[in-house]
Amino acid sequence: MITPVLRAVANGFIDNRGIVVDYLYTPFSVKPSDLIQGTLDVLILKSLATEPRHGWAIAKRIQSVSGEVLQVKQGSLYPALHRLEQQGLIRGAWRTSETGREAKFYVITAAGKKQLKHEVSQWDRLSAAIKLALKNA
Amino acid sequence: MFRQLDVIRLRLRSLFKAKRVDDELDRELQDHLEHLTEENVARGMSPRDARYAALRAFGNVSVTKEQSRDTRGTTMIENLLRDLRYSLRGLLHSPMLLVTAAISIALGAGGNIAVFSLARELLFSVPGVRQPETLVSMQVSHGSHATYQRWRDLDESGALQRIAGYSFERQLNWFGGYAAVSVTPMIVTGNFFDVTGVPTTLGRTFSESEARAELQPRLAVITHAFWQQNLGGDSAIVGRTLLFDGEGYTVLGVLAPGLRSVAGFALSPGVYLALNRSNMPAIADTQFNVLALVGRLKPSQTLEQGRAAVDAADRRLGRIAGDSLYAGVQGFSPVGGLGSGKMVNVISLFIAMLGLVALLVLLIACANVAGLLVARAAERRRETAIRLAIGGTAWRVVVMQQTGEVFWLALIGTGGGLLLSAALMRVANSVHVPVPIPIKIHLTTDLPVLAWAVGVLILSMLFCGLLPAIGTMRRSLTSALKVEEPRYVQRKITPRVLLLASQVTFSTLLLVTSLLFVRNLTQSELTNPGFDVERTLVTQIVFPQRQSAADNLSLLQRTIQRLVVIPGVQSAAISSAIPLTSQAGPHAGRFAILGDQTERTHIEYVENRLGPGYFGTMGIRVTQGRDFLPSDRAGTPKVVIINEEFARRYFQSESPIGSRIRIVASDSADPGVEVVGVVGNSKYYTLGEDQRGALYYPVEQRSGALSLAFVIVRTAGNPDALIAPVRRAVGELDPSVAVQVEPMRSALMFALLPSRIGAVMLGSLGALGLVLAAFGLYAIVAYNVSRRIKEIAIRSALGATRGRILSLVARDVAVVVGLGVALGLGIAAIATKPLAVFLVAGLSATDPLSFLGTALLFGCVSLLAGWLPARSATRVSPSIAMRAE
Repeated sequence: MITPVLRAVANGFIDNRGIVVDYLYTPFSVKPSDLIQGTLDVLILKSLATEPRHGWAIAKRIQSVSGEVLQVKQGSLYPALHRLEQQGLIRGAWRTSETGREAKFYVITAAGKKQLKHEVSQWDRLSAAIKLALKNA
Repeated sequence: MFRQLDVIRLRLRSLFKAKRVDDELDRELQDHLEHLTEENVARGMSPRDARYAALRAFGNVSVTKEQSRDTRGTTMIENLLRDLRYSLRGLLHSPMLLVTAAISIALGAGGNIAVFSLARELLFSVPGVRQPETLVSMQVSHGSHATYQRWRDLDESGALQRIAGYSFERQLNWFGGYAAVSVTPMIVTGNFFDVTGVPTTLGRTFSESEARAELQPRLAVITHAFWQQNLGGDSAIVGRTLLFDGEGYTVLGVLAPGLRSVAGFALSPGVYLALNRSNMPAIADTQFNVLALVGRLKPSQTLEQGRAAVDAADRRLGRIAGDSLYAGVQGFSPVGGLGSGKMVNVISLFIAMLGLVALLVLLIACANVAGLLVARAAERRRETAIRLAIGGTAWRVVVMQQTGEVFWLALIGTGGGLLLSAALMRVANSVHVPVPIPIKIHLTTDLPVLAWAVGVLILSMLFCGLLPAIGTMRRSLTSALKVEEPRYVQRKITPRVLLLASQVTFSTLLLVTSLLFVRNLTQSELTNPGFDVERTLVTQIVFPQRQSAADNLSLLQRTIQRLVVIPGVQSAAISSAIPLTSQAGPHAGRFAILGDQTERTHIEYVENRLGPGYFGTMGIRVTQGRDFLPSDRAGTPKVVIINEEFARRYFQSESPIGSRIRIVASDSADPGVEVVGVVGNSKYYTLGEDQRGALYYPVEQRSGALSLAFVIVRTAGNPDALIAPVRRAVGELDPSVAVQVEPMRSALMFALLPSRIGAVMLGSLGALGLVLAAFGLYAIVAYNVSRRIKEIAIRSALGATRGRILSLVARDVAVVVGLGVALGLGIAAIATKPLAVFLVAGLSATDPLSFLGTALLFGCVSLLAGWLPARSATRVSPSIAMRAE
């Protein structure tokens, strides 16, 4: 967890308000750590596990459940949402929101649920392993 | 599964409703922004500050949009479509380039597609039979044909499911109402239609049970074309009787239209007759190989198994018959595939040559277009450099745009080429080939032709686009901005120079070949055939098969008497053959002069049987002795006349008159004939042949079949005027004979046909290649001059005369063109050697006149192409030129 975080700091991904998940990528330039990209996907899937939400609500939800540490900006949220949609893990539908406006609500699909379970177990294994490595190294 | 469906649905939506998807994204982002603003307001900011803070925190929207779009996975297709649209717009802005390039490619592609169609028709066409892949044509016992008995035995041996035979060599007279017409029917065995399964449109075909040769059947099946053209499409044709050589044949049905016959090579008989003793007397003879064989494979039999079975059967039969040395299968292939044999080889060679030539034209056209594109790319160097600098990738800015342009040019060009080839095909279909056997070509634009066109498209794209793309890729940014142009004294090998040189090389190659064939034609026409062509009429008379030779002869003699009294006729004579048109094959035998000590030598000679007065009628000089007289007939001493070549070869200095000679040949052995005359030489088989020796016999003294004979008529004036009177005279004497009258000149067309076809096709293609090359030359030189206008202006400002500048430009052009021509002639010297087989003797494949002519022609053309733009460049005043860009 430390090395990617350090790298994220070095690249300006973290400022004084906490960890800002915001990155730029182009197809031909170097990809940032898959860890960060994959992490956002998992967080989005988890936030949709209980009920359908629209984009803003997802960002707010991630912020609140992480104790205000993780702030997802629109520049990374919407590409991630669309990527997940293209992969068939979530599905989007236009509905009226609680404020009365029309918003695109995202729902997790069966495939998404399966992927979520898989990713969470991967995360657990990974963090346990790193913790062990850090303790013993 | 639903996941996949969803994904597909989304992808399709992104592709076709891209705008709607973009709008939705906009709304989402807008929504997000408003939420942010509200949050800021809730924190206590003023609405305006709240909005600005939200916007600042929001970040770059367009990048987000692009990333989202990228995730959709359709970017590549969108980019491709956009690049294609853009390149098309670019092309439409330069209509000259578009039109010239499209026309060039259309001409090249059209030729290629047409040649492909012709090749398919002549070599690979599939006959209209049931399941052509299991029907095989075979050659056994070292011959292309088999005897009747061998066919019977092979069919009964069971080696294949069934074997049928056909013959396509006899001419029969069909009495169609009021005149007899000579037709060449296909005489087929009784089981022919059972084996081949040709579909009908009216009535039915005959089957073995009714058409076996033993039953002496009189059954006929006619083709659709024959039915339409000669019988007026009579709907009551089934059951009617048609008279062939005086015998009535019942028509059982009409075949479906547009079918190709089993014989291949676009041969199309009009009528199919069941084999019987009358139309094929050779049934009983084991000597005559009359039937070509086709067989149907058994359901589970492969080609190899079938071949082995027939081979074994033939060998077995050969052992029994005693000629096992020659037994076995030589050829065994499905009908419609490429067969084997001499005919195939000659036609294949000709088609291959045509194909290569058409390919050359296409290459020249592509080199043309490539040159134009290179010039265009150089002109847009500035624009390209700037686009690269502000962030476009080399892939999209350079390669995709160029490829897009090439694609559109190739597409439009190939489309035009398809149209052109369709027109060419229509012309070819209606061409009437003056050969005795009916030939019908059906060329259509169908799926294989379209596939070939796509192949041509890709090929031309490759040739047009490769060089310009490579050239553009190599250029760096700085040199692009500097607009560097090599000066006149620098000799750099740029892609443009290479293209120009290659274009010139191809065109030279093409032009040399065409000139060679045009020379061939003129040589052929100038060659004196040895007899009068201008004032003679040829009357071909075909007698019914069953008439005896004696009857035919007396009819011919009465015809002569009838003809000589017609005003305008100077003389008439009988002949069994017409040189260069209808001459029987050369005879061979052992020859000896009686009373001479010389050994019998093997000789080859041409033989002809004539009536009296032949040489005078034909305009052949009698140099020694006399012509035949009416007194030379059966019962009187046998005589012979020889030609000068024969006399030169075998009699040397002494006079042959009075000597007795004896020839022991394969089909005759006479006790000796007296030589009574020597006549001038003529050509017998082709105009280009080496001189042959000939022997002429009086027709009354030499026995032999005479079912086909000729009467030559010498006219005082134009022979065309006497065609009708002569035909009438013969027809009145005996209506059952088929009569054909034509002037000698048109009868000889057949001999000149190959040269004519070659000259027309290659001449036009050569001219085309020259025009394309000339145009390309002009375009490139004009462009070069326009690029160097600054240099020219400086030079003329410094005092260079117009002549000096012209010579500078000329030298530039001359070097490239000279190199190209030299290379082209060098390749031509090697490449034209195999073409010698098509040329008349006396014209070598490396004919110096053709080569020289090509070099001169190219010199003139390039001079003109270089002079015009240079001239206009020197006219511009230096100050204006310096400011031009």
